[in-house]
Amino acid sequence: MNLLDLILLLPAAGFLAVLLLPRRNPGAARGVALAVSLAVFVLSLALAAPVWKDGSTMQFVTDADWIESPAIRYHVGVDGLGIWLVLLATLLTPVCVLVSWRHIDRRVKEFYAFLLLLEVGLIGVFVALDLFLFYVFWEVSLVPMYFLIGIWGHERRIYAAVKFFLYTMAGSVLMLACIIYLYNRTGTFDYTSLLAMINAGDLILSRPEQLLLFLGFFIAFAIKVPLFPLHTWLPDAHVEAPTAGSIMLASVMLKMGTYGLVRFALPMFPTAAREFAWWIVILAIIGIIYGALVAMVQPNMKKLVAYSSVSHLGFVVLGIFTFTQAGLDGAVYQMLNHGISTGALFLLVGYLYERRHSLEIADFGGVATAAPNLSTVFMITMLASIGLPMLNNFVGEFLVLVGSAQVDFRWTVFAAIGVILSACYMLWLYQRVFFGETPEKVREKVYDLRPREWAAAIPLVALMVWMGTVTKTFLPPVSARNAEILRQTTVNAEFLVEAPPGARGAAAEAVEVADAR
Amino acid sequence: MSQYYTSTDHFVLIPALMLALFGCAVLLFDFLIFPHPKQRKWLIVFLIIGEIFTGAGLWRQQSFLSSYGLNELTAFNGTLTIDGFALFFNWLFVLLSVLVAIVSYRYLEIENEHHGEYYGLILLAQCGMFFMATGTDLITLFLGLELTALSFYVMVGFLRTQKRSNEAAMKYLLLGAFSSGLLVYGFSLFYGLSGSTKIVDVADALAAREPGDPLVVLAMAAVAVGVLFKVSAAPFHMWAPDAYEGAPTTITAFLATGSKAASFAFLMRIFLGPLESARPTWEPLLIGAAVLSLFIGNIAAVTQTNVKRLLAYSSISHAGYILLGLIAGNETGLIGVAVYVAVYAFMTLGAFLVLVALRRRDLIGEDIEDLAGLMESSPGYAVLMLIFMLSLAGIPPTAGFIGKYYILLALIQTGHYTLAVIAAVFVAVAIYYYFRIVRAMFVSERKETAPLASTFGIKVALAVSGVLTLGIGIYPDPFLRMAGFSLIR
Amino acid sequence: MAGVPLAWYLILSAILFALGIAGFLFRRNLITMFMSIELMLNAVNLSFVAFSYKFGRVDGQIFTFFVMVVAAAEAAVGLAIILAVFRTRKTLAVDEIDSLKY
Repeated sequence: MNLLDLILLLPAAGFLAVLLLPRRNPGAARGVALAVSLAVFVLSLALAAPVWKDGSTMQFVTDADWIESPAIRYHVGVDGLGIWLVLLATLLTPVCVLVSWRHIDRRVKEFYAFLLLLEVGLIGVFVALDLFLFYVFWEVSLVPMYFLIGIWGHERRIYAAVKFFLYTMAGSVLMLACIIYLYNRTGTFDYTSLLAMINAGDLILSRPEQLLLFLGFFIAFAIKVPLFPLHTWLPDAHVEAPTAGSIMLASVMLKMGTYGLVRFALPMFPTAAREFAWWIVILAIIGIIYGALVAMVQPNMKKLVAYSSVSHLGFVVLGIFTFTQAGLDGAVYQMLNHGISTGALFLLVGYLYERRHSLEIADFGGVATAAPNLSTVFMITMLASIGLPMLNNFVGEFLVLVGSAQVDFRWTVFAAIGVILSACYMLWLYQRVFFGETPEKVREKVYDLRPREWAAAIPLVALMVWMGTVTKTFLPPVSARNAEILRQTTVNAEFLVEAPPGARGAAAEAVEVADAR
Repeated sequence: MSQYYTSTDHFVLIPALMLALFGCAVLLFDFLIFPHPKQRKWLIVFLIIGEIFTGAGLWRQQSFLSSYGLNELTAFNGTLTIDGFALFFNWLFVLLSVLVAIVSYRYLEIENEHHGEYYGLILLAQCGMFFMATGTDLITLFLGLELTALSFYVMVGFLRTQKRSNEAAMKYLLLGAFSSGLLVYGFSLFYGLSGSTKIVDVADALAAREPGDPLVVLAMAAVAVGVLFKVSAAPFHMWAPDAYEGAPTTITAFLATGSKAASFAFLMRIFLGPLESARPTWEPLLIGAAVLSLFIGNIAAVTQTNVKRLLAYSSISHAGYILLGLIAGNETGLIGVAVYVAVYAFMTLGAFLVLVALRRRDLIGEDIEDLAGLMESSPGYAVLMLIFMLSLAGIPPTAGFIGKYYILLALIQTGHYTLAVIAAVFVAVAIYYYFRIVRAMFVSERKETAPLASTFGIKVALAVSGVLTLGIGIYPDPFLRMAGFSLIR
Repeated sequence: MAGVPLAWYLILSAILFALGIAGFLFRRNLITMFMSIELMLNAVNLSFVAFSYKFGRVDGQIFTFFVMVVAAAEAAVGLAIILAVFRTRKTLAVDEIDSLKY
């Protein structure tokens, strides 16, 4: 058992421990949850160094039998693509524990139990190397989120929770069918061996096969991202979810979709991915602009942030489907940025809600005088979200734009419009909430940040600055992995599908020569 | 035909003998030895002893088969066959009967009903199930089916003074007897086509006929309709919601699991035996029934407010999934059927057992609203029910997922892609109504009610079904090996 | 029986069986429906006996006996249940027995 197994096991053990605590003592549940999630975070930091040195190979691999027949393996490992997402999940879980400290006052024990179970599912999704195991973790993460929204959410929570569950489930079942189809063709669920088979030419998927399989995976991922027009569950889920639920949903859970695209859909079905790329990019660009425009007219803060997520994730998808190094790097970086900055936005909106008990923008005004520190933190987060240079989102968006410009300059133009629009709605939001007349209620109720709230916000703000200025810390392992993935998709796309095995080697060499140049 | 009752015959028959013997003995002991109401608990002990003897008989048969490396052991001139298939299902029946019996005591007390007949009928019904899974002759199969059905008619109407119960019994009886009539008419044509009642001979005779022979088609249609009635597949499912809702909940649990499993064993014996050669003819028929079952079961369940009725519709949809495994028909599919039937039995039994615990003197406990706030009042039951619901919905890592996985795999292996997609899509629909129950338990506010009627028996039975449902999902290997052993060929 | 071909028996059996089905589906009185089922079973018996005679084998006749036994048992259980229904509702019309419809 290596470190990674421990990181998966610890929150699971924490889940059971919290579940078995007595109901009368909510403090114990909070304490245990905080201790466990912090411990997991500290442990997961130790994953980073080895992966940083070599991001393109899988590290901390455990490959053990789980079910003999059908051959399902417990195969986990982490590389440059997964490492930061794992860290994002392990970082945000303690943040969520802190955020919910006061906010969640009923059925505390269950809340923290579900939060830890969610952490297991999320980490599992980012490290699973067996398609079946991936699916299991994918579903495991679904159930606690359903409860987080359904039990601790706002008025229309049940509607939102069911909608969230049904959308995701409808997609993922089709993905399961595709996974089983692949198993039927190859006799293995193992992602690495599947990839090896594809590379060696042992597994040749015909064009219609690839297209259908790609669509099966893609729809599951696109719902999760969510890509326009499959996004309608997201605003409902965000608005109704408690703060911690929103943070986990926006920051980590949506990344399951984009991660799946990069990890599975691209390398396994390169031809189909390239064939559909054009259409997907169009959807992504529509998402960028549509999300921004709709965000602009939202009267509800959470809904505004939710639609801004649709817009930001459009960037990620756009970056992925440019098939360029810059675009992919930008996309992965943007996943992390969005996780940090939108997570922080939800966190701060949650703070405002705790004070004023309203999410309507019209109920606020002049918060800057009542709570200067809160306003400052919000300002930094908002600027990061807009994509101001020196802050994290700028790097990601810039890389995506560079990548898209290499392919088709029109894409860049449209995507850039999204950036401008994001500045409009964010600044306008800030102006309406933090400046202007201070209503009586705001003056009475809104107080400045408390130490516990600082503790949750500071790491996120620090990361925004860090990721915006010292990209070297984060980008190298990601780039290494992305180069690998790109090579993979190029190699296979060159031969399309029916090429004789002999031609494969020659073209691979050609690509390597091109790379070397 | 040299000897009428050989030692092999006896050896094969022991489990059924034990069941019949103990079944009748329980009936007698009820008033001969345990006349006092307080002594009725001993009847359960007596039933368990009977099951232990039955299990011992099965165990000896199993070790006999494995020690001599035999695939099957036939008796009574080919009328009964003990093979992996029969043993797998009989073990399932033993487990289900014991679990149902041990939860029934408090329920019967609350309903103020007799005990002796109840336990006797459980054993006799199981005796019928033995013949349904073991019989390889039209006569034994038919008698097994009827013995099971007759016992169930009585058990469904066991609450004689309640309108709902005897109405359910009446509907079940009328449609059950009707379907038996259809079935046995088909059997008479089988006999006419082959001149024998042994399913091996019938299979040979039917295989020798041309495909699409009108007599074969007529016989096949009559038998298929009769069997589809028994497994409550649409469009022959009308009795199931009524019978499930009106029957005593413990019996509903037994009906939904034991009787259903036995009916599927019966169906496999017929469709993979005599009718295997007519596969091209019945395949479209079963595909239609399976898809319709998925559709009706899942759509009708969405609007139900009574949990028993909801689970009845869900069981119709599960019948559709099981039929899909049979339609795929390859090795994975047939293992899948065995896996699915057993897994379905465990999780459905568990769900009904929670309802049994909800039945209190002042509360029927069958509406979804009665489950409201269960997480606060009795978290243990709520978590178990959650596991059963997740499993019924087919979410990993629960047993229900393994079942669905096998069916999907088999469909894809045999190229039934459209069916696989349909089956997958209905999983999403099913989640909606299973989660209505979950929602009630976890999200809705608690109502002030009396504590649950939990007894030691209910706790044990729930623990067993919960452990099986979760255990098979997390570590399915041993169970899958057992199911693989059940393959007929 | 020498002059009567097998087919005639089968046709008679089929007609009786169809009458039984029709009676079951279209009559709305419990007792009549029950009698229709009995008619179906007797049609089955007829075809079993006819086949049995044609093959000169006894197993069809044995099956007939079992079907008769089953029919008798069904009648016993069925009439008891019908009696119980009648006691609680004072009617035998199927359409009026509908407390289990939602």
